[in-house]
Amino acid sequence: MNRDGPDVLDGDDDSRRAGASASNDARDTGTDPYEVPPDATAFACPRCGRPFARERHRDLHLGADHRDLDDDERAAYEDAREAETDDLRRFRIVSLGTLVLLYFGFLLLYAVAA
Amino acid sequence: MDRHSRRARVARRATPFALATLALVASAARVAAHAGGVRGATRETVTVPTWLFLATGGAVVGASFLLASAVTDRAYIRRIDGWGRELPDAGRVARLLARAVGLAALAITVVAGLFGPTTATDSAAVLIVWVGWWAVFVLSAYLLGNAWPAVDPFRAIAGALPSLDRPYPDRLGSWPAVAGLLALVYLEVVTPMADDPRLLTALVLGYLGVSVAGSVVFGVDDWFGRADPVSKLLAAYGRVAPVALTDDGLRLRLPGMGLTDAAWIGGRDDVGFVVAVVFVTTYDGFVGTGAWADTARPLVEAGVPALAVYLAAMLVGYGLFLALYLASARAARRTADTYLAPGVLARRFAPSLLAIAAGYHLAHNLATALSLSPTLAVVLSSPLSPPANVPALLVPDWIGAVGIAAVLAGHLLAVWVAHAVAYDLFPDRLQAIRSQYGVTLAMVAYTMASLWIVSRPGGAPPFV
Repeated sequence: MNRDGPDVLDGDDDSRRAGASASNDARDTGTDPYEVPPDATAFACPRCGRPFARERHRDLHLGADHRDLDDDERAAYEDAREAETDDLRRFRIVSLGTLVLLYFGFLLLYAVAA
Repeated sequence: MDRHSRRARVARRATPFALATLALVASAARVAAHAGGVRGATRETVTVPTWLFLATGGAVVGASFLLASAVTDRAYIRRIDGWGRELPDAGRVARLLARAVGLAALAITVVAGLFGPTTATDSAAVLIVWVGWWAVFVLSAYLLGNAWPAVDPFRAIAGALPSLDRPYPDRLGSWPAVAGLLALVYLEVVTPMADDPRLLTALVLGYLGVSVAGSVVFGVDDWFGRADPVSKLLAAYGRVAPVALTDDGLRLRLPGMGLTDAAWIGGRDDVGFVVAVVFVTTYDGFVGTGAWADTARPLVEAGVPALAVYLAAMLVGYGLFLALYLASARAARRTADTYLAPGVLARRFAPSLLAIAAGYHLAHNLATALSLSPTLAVVLSSPLSPPANVPALLVPDWIGAVGIAAVLAGHLLAVWVAHAVAYDLFPDRLQAIRSQYGVTLAMVAYTMASLWIVSRPGGAPPFV
């Protein structure tokens, strides 16, 4: 199965949540909810056709919004999930550091200025 | 799955901790707010410079974004969003009563405004519109629920008339409501509408005329659902409220959680309306500040009509607000690396701004609502010849601090709503966090601007 190209298949999906809400948004205006730049690569969801800029986003979307994944898709989902968790951990450390800086920064500012 | 549920537990345990940290940061802000409010007092107080006060407000919003982003459990976020209880229906009697109250209030406003006393604090018309409606009723629309469709006397009168039922032009969308809202606030600022009962009544009758005409041409539902600025304003505020009217009857939800649903935002016109709601309260506060007087004075002295200066400030300000918001939504496309159209992002994140508008409205109107409610009650007892001495509640100073806390609370709610929306839109949780960078920056900017205005001594708009 070609999972790298922009393959848009017919959508016999059970897309709820993320995918569904995005396509619902277009119903009033009748426009496409997605805008892919002409020279960009898109990773389309094989079930609902939603285009993603990164493979990881597509894999996570498959796992979160569609049931009955095949083995390849499930493995890709697990990998993506792992990478996502790692990145989240990194983000948490940075954000904790920022909070500490903010807190002590303001403590100092109040000591000096007030 | 195991890991997933463990994360849910951690998230649940982390939330009280996060809130405690937030309270700590917020308490620093409250000290600042207090200092801002008593700057003129002779008592010896710690005075915090304005820049530090504003920076603290901005930092609270930024920090709350970082804290909200620590909650990464999708199921938990959805559960908070979806929590709700059915409420018993209000019933036919309550609806008839609401209609009667609305019609009676309109009748008293018109009669007392045309034939009653001409001083503002004695006039039932001024008190009903500015205290009963603009302060108390609008407050109830976002703190409890929007009862305007049941109360609305303009709709009741317009609905009793036959209609031509011409199709409402789709391309107009909500823009007439945007123009109407801006026009109402412009008139409120540049005319002595808050002091002159005759003028106010003329405006109320004019508004009734426009509503009836619009409804007769386009039909009651199309007019009041799409073009009427007042109905749309209260409907928008009602989205913040815990009680909502759904297809299955009244429903209780957590405050602000109606804002994660953007199905009612049809297009850019509705985004424009939401931004207008945020903008008009800011504009109303801004033209009372000394900074505005200093900016406008050279222009007015150079011979530019004051009305034109005010109009230009309104249009430029609204344009800036709209541009800032649309730019922040467009930025989400880059920071989140997504192919969702910019319009979709702008529509989904727009309702979160209403929490900010509600906080700001509360900050501006709570003192009025409290101090003049007894006045309203006494004047209503005999609208045409009120007693010589009407009472007013003496509002304690700390109500000002409640106002500042409301501005911050509105922003914190907005940050959480944006967080929940981002999780609904994006499959990758880091992508969801990144998508909020632009909107968070816009919110920080709004907070600092709002706090700056709230911390200024308010006054009447100059030159008009």
